[in-house]
Amino acid sequence: MSAVDPEDHNPKIEQAGASDKSIQEVHSILLREKPEPLENHSPLPLFLLGFISAMVLMVSIYFVHNSGGFSPMVYDERFDPKNAPATTAEVKIDPLVQGKKLYTTVCAACHQATGVGVPGVYPPLTKSEWVTGSEERVIRILLHGLQGPIKVDGKDFNGVMPVIGPGGYNYSDDKIAAVLTYIRQEWGNSAPAVTKEKVTEIRTTTAAGRSTPWTAAELEAIP
Amino acid sequence: MNRAPLLFLGIFFTLAFSWTGIVLTNQLTYGKLQPVIDETENKAYPEQLSGLAEQGKLVYQDLGCLYCHTQQVRRPGFGADDKRGWGDRQSVARDYIREGRVLLGTIRTGPDLRNIGARQASRDWHLLHLYDPQITSKGSTMAPFPFLFEKHKIVGQPSPRAMKLPAPHTAEPGYEIVPTQRAEALVAYLQRLNDTYAYPETKNVFVEPVEMKKEGQK
Amino acid sequence: MASAPNLAASFDPATSPDLVKRAELSEIDASTKIPVLFFLCSAVLWLLVGTAFALISSFKLHTPNFLGDIEWLTFGRARTAHLNAVIYGWSVNAAFAVAFWLMARLSRSVLRHSGLLMIAGVFWNIGVTIGIGGILAGDSTSIEWLEIPPYATPLLFVAYALIGAWALITFRFGKSEHIYVSQWYLLAALFWFPWLYSIAQIMLIIEPARGTVQALVNWWFAHNVLGLWFTPIGLAAVYYFLPKVLGKPIHSYYLSLLGFWSLAIFYNWAGVHHLIGGPVPAWVLSAGIVASFMMAIPVIVTGINHHMTMVGSFGALKYSPTLRFIVFGAISYTITSLLGSLMADRQVSMVVHFTHFTVAHAHQGMYAFFTMVMFGSIYYILPRLLLKEWPSAMLISVHFWTVAVGITIYVVGLSIGGIKQGLEMNNADIPFLTVVANTIPYLLSRSLSGVLMTIGHLAFAVNFAWMLLRPRAPQATAPTFFNTPPDMEVAR
Repeated sequence: MSAVDPEDHNPKIEQAGASDKSIQEVHSILLREKPEPLENHSPLPLFLLGFISAMVLMVSIYFVHNSGGFSPMVYDERFDPKNAPATTAEVKIDPLVQGKKLYTTVCAACHQATGVGVPGVYPPLTKSEWVTGSEERVIRILLHGLQGPIKVDGKDFNGVMPVIGPGGYNYSDDKIAAVLTYIRQEWGNSAPAVTKEKVTEIRTTTAAGRSTPWTAAELEAIP
Repeated sequence: MNRAPLLFLGIFFTLAFSWTGIVLTNQLTYGKLQPVIDETENKAYPEQLSGLAEQGKLVYQDLGCLYCHTQQVRRPGFGADDKRGWGDRQSVARDYIREGRVLLGTIRTGPDLRNIGARQASRDWHLLHLYDPQITSKGSTMAPFPFLFEKHKIVGQPSPRAMKLPAPHTAEPGYEIVPTQRAEALVAYLQRLNDTYAYPETKNVFVEPVEMKKEGQK
Repeated sequence: MASAPNLAASFDPATSPDLVKRAELSEIDASTKIPVLFFLCSAVLWLLVGTAFALISSFKLHTPNFLGDIEWLTFGRARTAHLNAVIYGWSVNAAFAVAFWLMARLSRSVLRHSGLLMIAGVFWNIGVTIGIGGILAGDSTSIEWLEIPPYATPLLFVAYALIGAWALITFRFGKSEHIYVSQWYLLAALFWFPWLYSIAQIMLIIEPARGTVQALVNWWFAHNVLGLWFTPIGLAAVYYFLPKVLGKPIHSYYLSLLGFWSLAIFYNWAGVHHLIGGPVPAWVLSAGIVASFMMAIPVIVTGINHHMTMVGSFGALKYSPTLRFIVFGAISYTITSLLGSLMADRQVSMVVHFTHFTVAHAHQGMYAFFTMVMFGSIYYILPRLLLKEWPSAMLISVHFWTVAVGITIYVVGLSIGGIKQGLEMNNADIPFLTVVANTIPYLLSRSLSGVLMTIGHLAFAVNFAWMLLRPRAPQATAPTFFNTPPDMEVAR
């Protein structure tokens, strides 16, 4: 099917009015050009109709199933607010698993994954009487930090332990309990787990009074 | 298609449709999200950045940190963000409502920084890392930022803020390397990046239904 | 339409049909000369500037201490300068040049008031220059694709306002009986861009939206600059030059129509796929993913249209530089868009998001498609503006091969590297620094490809400048082909 150029009868053309010489000069490139582009009217291929319908069907199903109920507060596309109670059951996490994860992200940088610390710099947590001893002390160390000279397993250290509790990493009570439970039962340590309730109790009783890190001497005074 | 007005109408409508759906609808439905007041801590979350941290954010923008680091944590199971310690939960919209400029980022040449304040709070580490990333992270491709630091002649006592640099970076005797205000501000900003608060909507997470086994049943 | 004359006979005016029509076209070309030439010269200069920043940024990613002491070249600034130079400098200037030339020819209107366009071009380029200077000084807004500081953007607005005013004065569509497909795309692009840019400026800089609504505006804007400004102009060029060079009509008007409208509807919504997994409501992400999937329709439709037009004439690729660049671009458009639809799937995104894969994808779109189409267009347009031929076929050949091989290495290298990076990043047992170390070989391959592309750009710039400076030939000349065609019916 040949295409007819509708512009062939444009009345503006008469105004071209160029001289013979300029036509020849200007046209050297224009002369060899192909005509301006045109469109044929070949019909749409039939498979396209099938393809488009299939696409529309597939994406509609996808959209409906992944819209999180169209709620602006849902960021997980699989979540359906209408079925909320059944799918938001609190999943119990093993404190040792959580504790190990917390330890790896924060504590291991200094105390090492093996718990041996760095001689002279960071105290070990293995064979440490501070770790396996009274939970009153070790909870306070995490809540408010520790500084100054301290003897661990017969060796001296003198550094600053960052605050894992409020004002620092701001770990919640269950996180502090989890990581303490972990270190008290890892690397050959065997001490009772620390409960979230105990951490809460110590946090609230010390809340008003404590704004600086503990020293070893102060902690030793606590039973 | 030979009628220009029809063409214009179509062109206008398609753009208006997407702007309405993507931008306007979301602006109306969550564009006015408010902070949440936590009763036990008597604080509003998300917290406002301190003045120094706000200045640090400007340094973050001016140096283009956004072009290697993201600030958005994906949900557990969608990538390994949680396993890498980048965050326990997916970042939600409310985490960003106090920010004048939201810097989500699009590439992780470096790790996600949304919770960097939670996992690396040490000022000294950050200053060393900024001075020359190779000191703390050998093999890193992060750019060094020596121009965030100044060399001073030691007059009297050395500055308490002077850097403790390992060889070969240590300053010659009589000189010290001190972080500039920009470096301190940037580190203050990084230390404040910490999205640990659990807003109500953070519970809107799909959980695989667990088969409940009763006593006596196989 | 009678078949076009063969090459030898075409030099004899007495045998050329439609002489008066061609006189009209040459008059139109002459009227476009000053503004289009201005935009083209600006574009080529920005291409060289953007390429320099590209090389610097690429080297810094695998050799971080490269120029590490120079604050204004720190990666975060150099990379941003690169993006803005190649987008708002090279690509937009080239887009303006090609768009105005095409509009003039297709509406059969002599370009009047071209002084307005010149002033617009000056404002635009000053704005971009100040903007990039500001970025290097540290004033970037840190909004991707909108980094030019607020003190420079008013200049861009003035430029565009002038262009808009000029367009309204110049184009009187009542007279035209048929609006050709390229014109739909060009009009759409010229209309869409200022709206996108203005809304982005208002909702991100003047009155910033709260929280992640900013991210939605940002990616609605940035992706639509790709899909509703650069893509339409690129497609308009393909739809013009493909049939023009071959002397054959476009295969199907109906495919053109379907392709245009499906692109207009779906491309608009696809932008939020940049935020998959992010802190925005899941439903809007799903909508963007759906739109990204549906983009396969206009892409396949346009691909069929172009392919069926080319069928039977692939031999012409041996001769015509314009055709080679245009066809490379058109094929790249199909590949990159289909890959884009694939990348929007959440499971795929989980792996490739935040990796070098997206960088490869972006360059495949803006370079392998858009930039190659612009190169092809410029190779066709410049002789008609200057009434001279390209001085060196060898330089065109060097240009083509270095950039074609270069961008292929770029895309393949970073795509593979990006997938590896994504898979490793999703495995927490692999330390992050190991993931980084494993990307280095691919980043090195990208730098290599960058060096190749730089050679190509230099060849292009040298040929361009030489052509500007060489004197006009006194008699009819032959077009600069790669090889001399036997009496084949092809024009450049």
